[in-house]
Amino acid sequence: MKPAAFDYYRPTTVEDALAALGTSETAKILAGGQSLIPSMNFRLAQPDLLVDIGGVEGFDRMEVGPEGVMIGASVTQSRVMTSDEVADAVPGLRRALRHVAHLQIRNRGTVCGSLAHADPAAELPAMAIACGATIFIRGPAGERTVDAGDFFLGPFWTDLAHGEIVTGVHFPAESAGTVTLLDELAWRSGDFAITGLAAAVAARDGEATGARLVSFGVSGVASRMTGAEQAVLGFAGGDDGSDLYEAAYGDAADAVDDIHATAEYRREALGALAVRSVRAALAANGNGTGV
Amino acid sequence: MMDTNPGSREVDVAVTINGAQVRERVPARLLLSDFIRDVVGLTGTHVGCEHGYCGACTVIVDGDAIRSCSTLAVQADGSNIRTVEDLADGDQLTPMQQAFHENHAMQCGFCTTGFLMTLESVDSADYQDKERVVELLSGNLCRCTGYQNIVTAVCSVWGVDD
Repeated sequence: MKPAAFDYYRPTTVEDALAALGTSETAKILAGGQSLIPSMNFRLAQPDLLVDIGGVEGFDRMEVGPEGVMIGASVTQSRVMTSDEVADAVPGLRRALRHVAHLQIRNRGTVCGSLAHADPAAELPAMAIACGATIFIRGPAGERTVDAGDFFLGPFWTDLAHGEIVTGVHFPAESAGTVTLLDELAWRSGDFAITGLAAAVAARDGEATGARLVSFGVSGVASRMTGAEQAVLGFAGGDDGSDLYEAAYGDAADAVDDIHATAEYRREALGALAVRSVRAALAANGNGTGV
Repeated sequence: MMDTNPGSREVDVAVTINGAQVRERVPARLLLSDFIRDVVGLTGTHVGCEHGYCGACTVIVDGDAIRSCSTLAVQADGSNIRTVEDLADGDQLTPMQQAFHENHAMQCGFCTTGFLMTLESVDSADYQDKERVVELLSGNLCRCTGYQNIVTAVCSVWGVDD
């Protein structure tokens, strides 16, 4: 199918983009369009105005520094994924992006767009939470920042109000002794995950000393796994992992049943992914190599 | 401040497509796939699922393979587009096209142009093992071949152990 008719506007400043959004209740921001345009083709989305932020000055900036990586609103997933500087600063980001759709979609899809869209089965929201990323927002009232951990509220639902724009996201540099990674179960490479896990695991002397573990594709929103985060403390690679498995299983009490998998299957898969991911993180931490 | 919607229903799109300049005024809602097929008249780009899943509509925009069904024509304004019609020189097929022919890497051929444009867009040096080739091809669906002959064709051209 084809999109319903809409008006198209391509501002060059964030001020003009905000002003345009303010003229319509149903206006949508167009960045890469890799979720929005298929939704419009299906007529699931019928905005009366599209504000294309592809030309907004400054939105294409990507800066890597000792503090981490700043990714502007129009920076594509491919650009982030192919940057060796980014991979050095936040290795988990490249690991996560390899699971995001396919090359052709990553070539247009943006990191910030995926965060704002907040698909419950998407990798980047979970990775942003695991990494402790900060989301930068501009709105009619000015600029504000939100921790990724507070940004995702439900399926396709974030802290973003209508009329606000995600202008960028900052991923802090991975600190020594911490490994970030992402693992998932999908029927085919590039599909949305049936069950996925993003992790930042801190370790010393082969034992986990702390972790942020985030499930995605399990319930309606990427979620911290508070039980598993406790169970991970003191976990060593040689442990049988049953406590961690049970804790992760328990964290997924709100797992959904759908055509792809039952809730029970998702809970078991999340338990297995938790053990596998933490083991991988400990191994990578021990020998200083990638995951 | 803006009081009224600043957008427009119709937009000017100027692109270079397979080396030719094209400038047209089109509806803002026109997909790039339909622009290529219906406005420019290049029907080698195929439209399958129309929601970014099958890859049949893959074209190259400014060097990158993209889904033309999930891109508005207006988003390609100012860009350089290549479609499957740009590959062969008359009857002289590219090595990849020739390998598809020789390895029977197609049956109905509907998906073929999308595969060829994905392959055309990348540097084969980045895909020197079979697992990487398969990962690259995973963004294009084929309902006829079972993929094996496509993988074989690609590996034969890129010098990858199949």
